[in-house]
Amino acid sequence: MAVLEVEGLRVVRDGVLAVDDVSFQLAAESDTALVGPNGAGKSSLVGAILGLIPRQAGEVRILGHRLGPAGQLPAQVRAQLAFLPQALPLQGRLPLTVAEFVGFGWDPPGPRLPWSGGGARRSAVHSALAKTGCGPLAERLLSELSGGQLKRVLLAFCVVRPRRLLVLDEAQAGLDAPSTEQFHSLLFDLRRSEGWTVLQVSHDLDMVRRSCDQVLCLNRQLRCSGHPELALSRAQLERLYDPADLPSHPRRQAPMGRPRIG
Amino acid sequence: MTEFSPFSAVIGQPFMQRALVGGLLTGALGGLLGSFAVLRQLSFFSDALGHSALLGISLGILLGLNPTLVLIPFAVLFALLVNLLVQRSQLPTDALLNIVYSTSLAFAVVALSLVTTYKGGIQQLLFGDILGISWLDLALIAVLLMAAVAYLLVSLRAQVLVTLHADLAGAFGVGSQWHRIAFILLLAVVVAVSIKAVGVLLISAFVVIPACASRLVSRRFGTYLVLSSVIGGGCAVLGLLGSGLTNLPSGPCVVIVQFFGFLLALLWSLRGRPQRLRAKPAVTS
Repeated sequence: MAVLEVEGLRVVRDGVLAVDDVSFQLAAESDTALVGPNGAGKSSLVGAILGLIPRQAGEVRILGHRLGPAGQLPAQVRAQLAFLPQALPLQGRLPLTVAEFVGFGWDPPGPRLPWSGGGARRSAVHSALAKTGCGPLAERLLSELSGGQLKRVLLAFCVVRPRRLLVLDEAQAGLDAPSTEQFHSLLFDLRRSEGWTVLQVSHDLDMVRRSCDQVLCLNRQLRCSGHPELALSRAQLERLYDPADLPSHPRRQAPMGRPRIG
Repeated sequence: MTEFSPFSAVIGQPFMQRALVGGLLTGALGGLLGSFAVLRQLSFFSDALGHSALLGISLGILLGLNPTLVLIPFAVLFALLVNLLVQRSQLPTDALLNIVYSTSLAFAVVALSLVTTYKGGIQQLLFGDILGISWLDLALIAVLLMAAVAYLLVSLRAQVLVTLHADLAGAFGVGSQWHRIAFILLLAVVVAVSIKAVGVLLISAFVVIPACASRLVSRRFGTYLVLSSVIGGGCAVLGLLGSGLTNLPSGPCVVIVQFFGFLLALLWSLRGRPQRLRAKPAVTS
């Protein structure tokens, strides 16, 4: 069974058609990149899949459950879904430690007392911080973290509970080259060990070629899809991007399953 | 013959005992809600709500209705309308709220000037009358405090995620819009109920100052919430005792104590800052 099924999806935002008749499926434990120029509708597509913005037509199924028109999903399905945003712009406002934040990732959706879960919750947080190399950061405030540390903490927030589908919206944005490599290396390891299915919005076509199984090229409609080596050929890219915005020719690198650690 | 100290004379008065309990509850309630209001940049919103409360009271008096009964539905309706306006308009929020609260104040003063039968003074509305608080008022504030504590406790994860990142919250199953509106409504009811004790002009201090003081010294979210309530309640009790001993106005005394509490927190938070600054590398051209 596909983890995510999207069929005939149409999204209108602020009166503008952002996504038109998009259909695709994500197989279990696959790593799929969503690429396209700015304004192509990538964030709208991700928002509609997560149930954050309404869709005008089409179907979204996650783990076989239909996403309701207002983004409703059964709680046990929602708990298996994780989202990693570009940044947490308001992180400086909250006096929130890394351990407290990751603990909220363990809590299932719905009302519950903050101390319920006790030992199991503490143990899960400890384990998630260890898996992501964030153990020494446990008592640090979110506002005290560097960009790379924050991304690792966000991954800890996702890994603190078993998930099936992880959606990343330009997660590497704002990171320097070594931090980007470290982030993707950690993501690769976690995907393998946790059995995650990944859908990631990305502008980094080199990274997509090296680490993703499948690519979806979006420019309002799905322009191409398939293995990165085929879908990201020069001819396909010229169809997808405006010539002025076309990324430079890809660096030739040996195919690899795992990005280098910088 | 038994001699009473000025302190025992102050706390021996039944109205003062009610005021102390009322101050403790109102201060703790303001501190608790303020801890989220400040993080969500709703400080100015609570100020606008306070000013609108004066309009609600004025309309109640003008229509011959009990102002306290009019105030809660008025504040709730007003909060919903302002929230809608802020969400739909493309104008900056602070500018919109400025328009709303100054206009409310203008309408309220005009409405009060039309009333000839109102016995309460404008001073009482502006600065509150915590010494005149009744047992019924206390019961209402206590129930509200319990409801606020219960709601914020069971929805703590949702409140934190909504404050941090609306899309992150939504993706993890939190109804951001629902929680945002529920919090604004709770804030509106708290402001409406506290106005009698605290006054229109000082209500936002009860919401903002304890939370800011707590934010400066807290390194955990749980500590921040509890400390904000403790500072709110503690400063209210100290301010009221000071007011009773010096015969100065009670509401302003509480706010002055809150301000000194904030200064202490600020000084505490600045400890060690010069060392950190010195540790930074020198700027070179």
